[in-house]
Amino acid sequence: MTSTAPLPTKAATRRNNVATQRETQIKKRYTARLRRGDLLETIVYFSVAIVLALFLADGGATYFLSLKDVTTGIGIVTGLVGSDLMLIMLILAARIPVIDRTFGHDKALAVHRKLGKPVLYLILAHMFLLMVGYGIAQGLNPIAEAIDMIVNQQDMSIAFIATGLLIAVVVTSLVIVRRKLSYEFWYIVHLLSYGAILLALPHQFTQGMMFAEGTWARWYWMALYVGALASITIFRVIIPVASSLRHDLRVSSVDIEAPGVVSVTMTGRDINALRAQGGQFFTWRFWAPNMWWDAHPYSLSAHPDGRSLRITVRDLGKGSARLLSLKPGTRVSFEGPYGIFTDASRTTKKAVFVGAGIGITPIRAILESSDLDPLEATVILRGSDAQDVYLWQETYDLCVEKSASLRVLVGHRPKGVNTWLSAEAYSKGESLLTLAPQIKNSDLYICGPTPWTDLVVRDAKRLGLHDHQIHAERFDF
Amino acid sequence: MRARSAFFAGMGSAAIIAIGWQAGVGTLVSALPESQASASGTSNSASSATTSNSSTSTTDTSAAAPAATTAPVASGPADGTYDGSVVNTRFGTVQVQAVISGGKITDVIAVKLTDADRKSIAISQQVAPMVRSEVLTAQSAHVANISGGTYTTQAYLQSLQSALDAAGFTG
Repeated sequence: MTSTAPLPTKAATRRNNVATQRETQIKKRYTARLRRGDLLETIVYFSVAIVLALFLADGGATYFLSLKDVTTGIGIVTGLVGSDLMLIMLILAARIPVIDRTFGHDKALAVHRKLGKPVLYLILAHMFLLMVGYGIAQGLNPIAEAIDMIVNQQDMSIAFIATGLLIAVVVTSLVIVRRKLSYEFWYIVHLLSYGAILLALPHQFTQGMMFAEGTWARWYWMALYVGALASITIFRVIIPVASSLRHDLRVSSVDIEAPGVVSVTMTGRDINALRAQGGQFFTWRFWAPNMWWDAHPYSLSAHPDGRSLRITVRDLGKGSARLLSLKPGTRVSFEGPYGIFTDASRTTKKAVFVGAGIGITPIRAILESSDLDPLEATVILRGSDAQDVYLWQETYDLCVEKSASLRVLVGHRPKGVNTWLSAEAYSKGESLLTLAPQIKNSDLYICGPTPWTDLVVRDAKRLGLHDHQIHAERFDF
Repeated sequence: MRARSAFFAGMGSAAIIAIGWQAGVGTLVSALPESQASASGTSNSASSATTSNSSTSTTDTSAAAPAATTAPVASGPADGTYDGSVVNTRFGTVQVQAVISGGKITDVIAVKLTDADRKSIAISQQVAPMVRSEVLTAQSAHVANISGGTYTTQAYLQSLQSALDAAGFTG
């Protein structure tokens, strides 16, 4: 009878060992991701350094010996750095798997957007400074020099057109943020950036001596362009098309979850091979009349069970309203899965999931896909009324299954207060810390409308959470 | 980015730029307006036997060469003006003449320079005098490239070398 006594302690130690093993595993994966990220970032810095080095190796420093050449020197440098960063922008938008796995596709695009304006300024500086610099060398005023370039010099007329296209691309991108343009128009204009890149290419090889025939630099520069354009072609065209053909997705059912909210379930071949995780998103294209020319990014709303994929969508735009009319059997092509709003970004064992409205659907999916021990997760759901807490029953069942705490905050926000809480919770003095006491040593996953998400992030940072613990997926309405 | 990685990225970038600087430093020296510096820096004419006993290297490159050499000319190239070959480049053809006097290159005359477009003309006008003064200092066609005028420089030197060969000038 005494032999039964040590058993529980053995089991307890085993449990503890497993727990620390998991902790170590998560930490290891996180460190590896950090390292990858640093490496990729270093490559970006190096690419700029290499271009500057090539300029210097070609004797670029001589431009800075006399005052009249300085303008030309700076003009060449801005052009070089500007086009290098433009290629970086292309690569960031190319959906390259290693970038997605390390930073997440949405973060990569955020950096892409950040680079847009500086790159345009660099290219414009390149143009104006050389108009002035070469103008000085030839005794022409800058305008006359520009006309001379366009009329007399090889490949310069198309280079000027390229600058015009680039201006159009950046300006439409800045305007669409203010929601003054239709997405389709922006998209068409954005495609012009490929035209801009190709039209600007010849003059880089024929006008400057840096990339002249017979130089190593010429091969390097060509390789950069070929690499960037090839990665776009491979990861944005070839792979999505091949994947869509292979998996042969079809709509299997369309279910109404709430007024204006539908779940679309799709089945296909080899769904497991997609390796999709709850919390990831795809860009979907439904091959139905009036829908096929439009592709939309929607997150999964359930863990892929190997047979089917499900999304849950609210009719916010005209695209999502049409989903209601989808017939079972409709073909679906897709790009994805993308994003690291998943276990891939975990830094520790515990997790807190916060979702609002339609933002609950990815939260529900990531909860289902996540590797969690009992009592390690807290789920907080927000809706302005009970009906807005979408998929609430499913989420509740998952919380029961995983022994996670669930808090549901229903109702409008208090008037005149900048908070993400409902008026009721706010008046009771609730906060992130009271709702999720373990939050300080947890990963925090947030999904909801941008302003609301920003408020949750603000509160989390006030509690002392680090950036690497906070994973936010913002919805733009 | 973590501090350590940022440090490495910074140092690495600096090293890359430094290598580029080092690679280009020759052109920088040779482009200095007073080509005295380049004589020590880049002129790699191995044998300068003819200049050993006459130290008056022409520093006044813009005016006509003084040619005040009193050194006896034993054997070597005959005095005269020698045509160089016509060299084709993407920016137009280049041809120069070498003027040999008293066993030295006293002048290089550009017969034709790159003129495919106005920028090429501007470049030639800028580069040719520089190359010429380099050549007169080094007394050979082996001088450093002038950045921003690679084509002109190389074609100029190629044409000059053929002129020197025709003259039997060995430096």
